[in-house]
Amino acid sequence: MADTTFAGTDLPRRAEIEIDEQEVNRRKQFLEFRADDAEALKSLEPIAEQYADPVIEDLYRHFLSFDETGGFFRDPKVLERVKRLQREYFVRLTEGDYGADYVRNRLGIGTVHERIDLAPKWYLGAYSFYLRAVATRLLEAFGKEPQKAFSAFLSLMKLVFLDIGLAVETYIAARDRTMRKQQEAIRELSTPVLQIRDRLLLLPIIGVIDTHRARLITESLLRSIRANRARVVVMDVTGVATVDSKVAQHILQAVAAARLMGASVIVTGLSSNVAQSLVALGIDLGTLNTAGDLQGGIEDAERILGYRVVRAAETGRGPQLAERR
Amino acid sequence: MSVPVLRLGDVLIASIQAALTDRDLLQLRDDLSDQVGRFRARGVIVDVTALDVLDSSAIRTVRDLAHTTRLRGARTVVVGIQPEVAFAMVQLGLTLEGVATALDLDEGLALLRQEDA
Repeated sequence: MADTTFAGTDLPRRAEIEIDEQEVNRRKQFLEFRADDAEALKSLEPIAEQYADPVIEDLYRHFLSFDETGGFFRDPKVLERVKRLQREYFVRLTEGDYGADYVRNRLGIGTVHERIDLAPKWYLGAYSFYLRAVATRLLEAFGKEPQKAFSAFLSLMKLVFLDIGLAVETYIAARDRTMRKQQEAIRELSTPVLQIRDRLLLLPIIGVIDTHRARLITESLLRSIRANRARVVVMDVTGVATVDSKVAQHILQAVAAARLMGASVIVTGLSSNVAQSLVALGIDLGTLNTAGDLQGGIEDAERILGYRVVRAAETGRGPQLAERR
Repeated sequence: MSVPVLRLGDVLIASIQAALTDRDLLQLRDDLSDQVGRFRARGVIVDVTALDVLDSSAIRTVRDLAHTTRLRGARTVVVGIQPEVAFAMVQLGLTLEGVATALDLDEGLALLRQEDA
């Protein structure tokens, strides 16, 4: 369907998916879009020129009668420009050249739709309206030869489905990109290594550990050990819901690697479910230093490092605030 | 290239400065084993800070070296394993079981002293 650009760019941005000539041809073969279809569409050019304005007026009247689609055209200037682009699009359908350039242009339009957040349902609905409007005009133009109008319409349908396919792919590609970004964000957020005392690091692990993430966690752990000169690391897996043999293997590797750098690791927060499944899996965790919960782990770590944590009151130096009152 | 062995009290320090051939490493093992006896050393520190690659045979030699010197009566600590090296070793499944490790030379000395006490 048409271009609803309004955000200041006349030319659609470069599309993200690349489709080469060969792929375009393959799609056309499947749609049975042949040279004679292109010819037939080309022969419609004068009719397209003639009916472009009324069809587009109809289309935008329809858009404006719905909040969801009319909302894009509040600014009369935008409306004007979009109508102009729509007209170009309309005439472009009958230009007869539907190669890689054409496809690139369509992909760009899809990208714009995605950017302005035009949901596919409105896009498809609008296309249906558009096709009906065109069908009516075609019948009108061919007058006594409805057979010809119908066959021209069928040619147009093939081209239109090529367009729709491209537009849908743009939507999917954009979603994929968003998801990838989010996954990256989650990955980065969830592997912090925190220093909680001199030479004591805390590594809280939350969520699912896959091989890739395990590698990132281990790498950032090892780097932090060197950077902070850590001797003890408390690895808290309270936020890891399930531990299978692979995850257990990853944890053991991180522990072994940390040891090679001279740091001992205390694993905390293994839930009873996780502990039972590990035992059931027969994974040898004999080398693993564990504590029940994070607090226990930190206390163990402090003992190793020679800290003794005492409440201020017990040392005879009561909290300052209490004295002042 | 042979590795110089320094003596600090009853501790021998071998600091490996460049990638060694297997033969050099074996030479180091023999030297250390010999000197532990000669100087009645209680501890040995092998410093690999300068190495950013350790292949599997080198790792095995280091492990054998540590076990040998222990049998000769000196605790051996491998210090300065780089993060990348540690990661690669674990991937290879070579984790220097039974060999003490420490972050750097300082830590290694502290570890030996602590055990003496």
